[in-house]
Amino acid sequence: MGLVRLTENGFVFGEAVVVDTIPTLEPEPFTFPSLIPGRELKDGEQYRFHFNMTKCIGCRSCEVACNEQNGNPADILWRRIGELEGGTYPNTQRHYLSMGCNHCLDADCVKGCPVDAYKKDPITGIVVHSADACIGCQYCVWNCPYSVPQFNPERGVVGKCDMCKGRLEDGLEPACVNACPESAIEIEIVNMANWRENFTEADSPGMPLASHTISTTRITLPENTTTTLERVDSGQVQPEHAHLSLVFMTTLMQGITGALIVLLLNRSLDPLRLFLLLNIGGVAVTISTLHLGRPAYAWRALKMWRRSWLSREVLLFTLFLLTLTALTAITAAPLLHLHIPVHLIAPIACLAIVFGLGGTLASACIYLVPARPSWNMIHTPIDFFLTASFLGTMLSAALCNLPHPVLLATLTAIAWSLNHAFRLYRLHSSKLFESRAAFSLLSSHLLRAHTIAAFALVALSVTLLTTGHPLIALAIGWCAALLARYLFFVSVVPLNMALTFIRSRHA
Amino acid sequence: MRLLDKLRRLAGIDTAQKRYAYGKDDRYGFVSASRVADTWVKTTCGYCSVGCGMLIGVRDGKAVSSRGNPDHPVNRGKLCPKGLSEHHILSAPGRATTPMLRKNGKLEPVSWDEALNTMVERIGSIQTRYGPSALGVVGTGQLLTEECYTLGKLVQLGFRTPNNDGNTTLCMASAVSGYKLSFGSDGPPGNYTDLETADVVLLIGANIADNHPILCNRLERNKHRTLIVVDPRVTKTAMMADIHLAVKPRSDIALINGIAHILIRDSLIDRAYIDAHTTHFEDLSAFLQAFTPEHVAEVTGLTTTQIEHVALHYGRARAAFIGWTMGVNHSSQGAVTVAAINNLALITGNIGRAGATPFSITGQCNAMGTRETGFTSSLPGYRKFENAKDRADLAALWNVDPAIIPQARGLAYPDIIEAAVTGKVKAIWFIATNPAVSFPNYSLFEQAMRSLEFVVVQDGFFPTPTSDFADLVLPGAIWGEKEGTYTNSERRVSKANRIVAPPGEARPDFDIFLDIATRLGLRDTLYPGWSTTHDAFREWQRVSTGRMCDYSTFTWDEIESRGGMQWGGERLYSDGVFPTPDGRARLHLVPCDPFTEQPNEEFDFILNTGRTVEHWHTRTKTAQVDMLNKMVPNAWLEINPIDAARLKLHSHDRVTVVSRRNQVANLELRITAIVAPGQVFMPFHFSETNSNLVTLGAFDPISREPNFKQCAVRIEKTTQRPGAKLPPAT
Repeated sequence: MGLVRLTENGFVFGEAVVVDTIPTLEPEPFTFPSLIPGRELKDGEQYRFHFNMTKCIGCRSCEVACNEQNGNPADILWRRIGELEGGTYPNTQRHYLSMGCNHCLDADCVKGCPVDAYKKDPITGIVVHSADACIGCQYCVWNCPYSVPQFNPERGVVGKCDMCKGRLEDGLEPACVNACPESAIEIEIVNMANWRENFTEADSPGMPLASHTISTTRITLPENTTTTLERVDSGQVQPEHAHLSLVFMTTLMQGITGALIVLLLNRSLDPLRLFLLLNIGGVAVTISTLHLGRPAYAWRALKMWRRSWLSREVLLFTLFLLTLTALTAITAAPLLHLHIPVHLIAPIACLAIVFGLGGTLASACIYLVPARPSWNMIHTPIDFFLTASFLGTMLSAALCNLPHPVLLATLTAIAWSLNHAFRLYRLHSSKLFESRAAFSLLSSHLLRAHTIAAFALVALSVTLLTTGHPLIALAIGWCAALLARYLFFVSVVPLNMALTFIRSRHA
Repeated sequence: MRLLDKLRRLAGIDTAQKRYAYGKDDRYGFVSASRVADTWVKTTCGYCSVGCGMLIGVRDGKAVSSRGNPDHPVNRGKLCPKGLSEHHILSAPGRATTPMLRKNGKLEPVSWDEALNTMVERIGSIQTRYGPSALGVVGTGQLLTEECYTLGKLVQLGFRTPNNDGNTTLCMASAVSGYKLSFGSDGPPGNYTDLETADVVLLIGANIADNHPILCNRLERNKHRTLIVVDPRVTKTAMMADIHLAVKPRSDIALINGIAHILIRDSLIDRAYIDAHTTHFEDLSAFLQAFTPEHVAEVTGLTTTQIEHVALHYGRARAAFIGWTMGVNHSSQGAVTVAAINNLALITGNIGRAGATPFSITGQCNAMGTRETGFTSSLPGYRKFENAKDRADLAALWNVDPAIIPQARGLAYPDIIEAAVTGKVKAIWFIATNPAVSFPNYSLFEQAMRSLEFVVVQDGFFPTPTSDFADLVLPGAIWGEKEGTYTNSERRVSKANRIVAPPGEARPDFDIFLDIATRLGLRDTLYPGWSTTHDAFREWQRVSTGRMCDYSTFTWDEIESRGGMQWGGERLYSDGVFPTPDGRARLHLVPCDPFTEQPNEEFDFILNTGRTVEHWHTRTKTAQVDMLNKMVPNAWLEINPIDAARLKLHSHDRVTVVSRRNQVANLELRITAIVAPGQVFMPFHFSETNSNLVTLGAFDPISREPNFKQCAVRIEKTTQRPGAKLPPAT
């Protein structure tokens, strides 16, 4: 018998209990059913979770069992309960999601990983993560539309649900499946091709659209509900991690790339200036490794350049700095009375610029991920290039006495400001909750002053340049760029599965 | 070396591989190596009264894992999140590890000798000056049955004060009183299997999905049942229901009477059972005339159709189960509400049969043990204070003078507190309970504490909000550190075992009781030849022989090997004979009175209090389990969207609940259709936002249970909310 809600209008009842249909008052002997497949996987099949929302009572045993299974601290939940609610009292509907990893067919975590730490297991289809291979870059955290991978600062690596692969291989139920007192979670076999054709059962209130990555988790929803279930966790968003090392690295690399262009156009490439740029680049790269949970293994990030934008960024910026080193050496050669053909300077400088711009593009592409809507906008690459132009102009103005490129600086500053303003407007009027929430964060009392200050500082910087204070202008301009980049990182609202209303919040 | 380790971590060369390695447990297979055990100790969960069987994994003398015991009949291997993380409590911080005595206003560590000598001396001095009953003792359903029994003797026969009660009076005293009113004795007649076989299950004021999650599984095994949930909130349990009756607060009596009215009107009653086994049916029948569906609809806020349908369901059921918890008990009409529930079961013959029972789902892991052995609301073995033969029996069993056994019940818990304010009680000994958070109307409680000459707080944890008032703190062992039995809601006696040693100088409560008896010079009189809780169990077996709660038919070993034993068998009253003078159950006429503190213009909301699955009582335990505490780190207040809009409040605003007595600030506001307009709900677990600052000190005249569930409050904004003002989610 389905749920019957009684209202002042009477109620739709299932069939009244007819006494004769009740077979016996003896309890049937009870054993919990096996909730894992009873047969081997065939070709083209994989395991998946089935979550039955109609059975879940929101007791959270699965979450505790998961952490006990994996020895995770309380801040990390590889399985999470989300609350959904709808209707008006007393016809209220409350339901729960219990979600681990969705072991997607097109897993973005796998594609983005620069070190190949992720594998979609060829036999079981389980998306497996290797803590040994991981360097803690957290690009998978940004890529996953379900916010499944979680960074463990104690280890410096990411971790995630692997469907208790080790238990399945021994014929045992995963911890969450086994712990659930209501048998709401089970492991099923799915034919991947069929699922790719029709994966509507993967969608549910409180879940980002399954089409992003083709989640394989099948969700049984309550039947015949006219109520729209909504998540309850979205009433308050916290600023995300600032990733300060990336704030510095991206702006610094963009600044020296821009400066190199301006200096070349200005025919002002001299060893001292180049040496300075090179040093800034060195600092930027060093800072960037601090973003990693495992800086000692930063070099591994080059590995997946064929697939990962992060690898490409690392590769291109490495080439950029190498070329810049060569360029510096060549321009410095005459000082050391070495004979190096001077006509090589322009081509090598151009090559360096290509690598620099390529790195900047790769850098921007890292942030073009559907899982983070406020990053996934054309404004991101535009901002990165305009920042390169603006800071480059400012930097070269400070390095050279003349002529001051006031016009260029003014134009880029205007373009930069317009791009940011337009981005804010689009965030504000977006259809996506996460984008609007990002705008709300930027305009909240937490960040409003920062947002206004970024614009004001850019204007001030140009004014100072115009009035002949290039050094102060550079300092102010750089502050503006850092502030804007900081806001870029902290104001992003990632896609996520529904969570609970009351919960611990971590930055 | 440490610096080198730090650098290795910073560089990422070390990723704590060892700590996060996996291993293979002999019994449970592939699992985090940190949870691999070398032995598994059978025990029973120390949280709620469901009484789940557990296996605790131990490695190198440390508890490393909790698992449900797959052979235990109650839970068949499943546990709730509190049970699954229970091993953490045995290595949790915040434990009381040494006796502490207040000297010059400060609690300072002292030896056990000094602590207990001081206790005996100070209490002795107070009792000399003010009489024996100037000592009040408040025990708990957290103790082992053996300890409850030992404590009862110590307090009543040792300290000679009748003012002995437990925190169970804040919990299920109304169920006890209600059972006594109807059946002549306490004792829940049914069992959990009845949930599986009943064809109608009526839950009144029982949110089992949050509070007894493992019972949901027992209920879900029953594919034929119609589940009716009566609750003013749309609880998780209401979501499981086939029919949810969202009644107005405290209108349950009207609903129950209304159902009985319809059953009598439509002859859906068991006339033969009524005639053979009950009294006062004609009075009841006449009394119920007034509870017409129209009248009941008005009182409950339901429609007559709803009431008729539910009555029809109940009346037609071949076996109907009525379960209740704190929604019924936490009321100043709790005892009689239970009697009204019993009426319903009796007039339909829904008692003493498979699936048919009025069933109190109780609270703490051993609330039942205190009821049976406790020496609080009755003498051990459900004997009556007033009954001379009962007293003589006990005196003979104990080999003491019958005159020293009190002839009437002493003060109940709330009356002990009140007597402290009025100066009749001068010393209180609290054992494993935290009244500074759990007792209603904190202001009065605080006044009581300040009026006392001597406060002893015996607890596994330190500090607690209650130990702030203590003159003496005695560190007790907790679940997992001592051996004995717990009795669950279905009268199942299960074994709780020692897994690890108590921390520091903490001692099992049993040892403390024996030590105090020694210092009183009464060890041999009260506890002849005793050294372990098993000695207490053996004496308790003799004392309970032939009583309804007869423990003499099973040994500790049998209890352990058979997953618990139910005293009284599967169910009580199968023969229709009740322990009343005439052997018949009594039907009571229960009026439905409005609750004490009605909302008005100034205090325009009804505050309801309750629990959440992640926490236990006042969080002395669960706040120390990181996983549970981080799931729900703070309290909240539920308010209906209509009221929130009227008050211009937003989700996550910090609000203050103000009552006539006091206020609770900084509650995170949850705007939700879980609660009705005009009602608000908050959990009572959090000492930081203590609901009992605002609750009412109104008590049931029979059971003395507080009316935690309704008081009048208003809602104000505390501060601006910290986060961003967000757009609507869709």
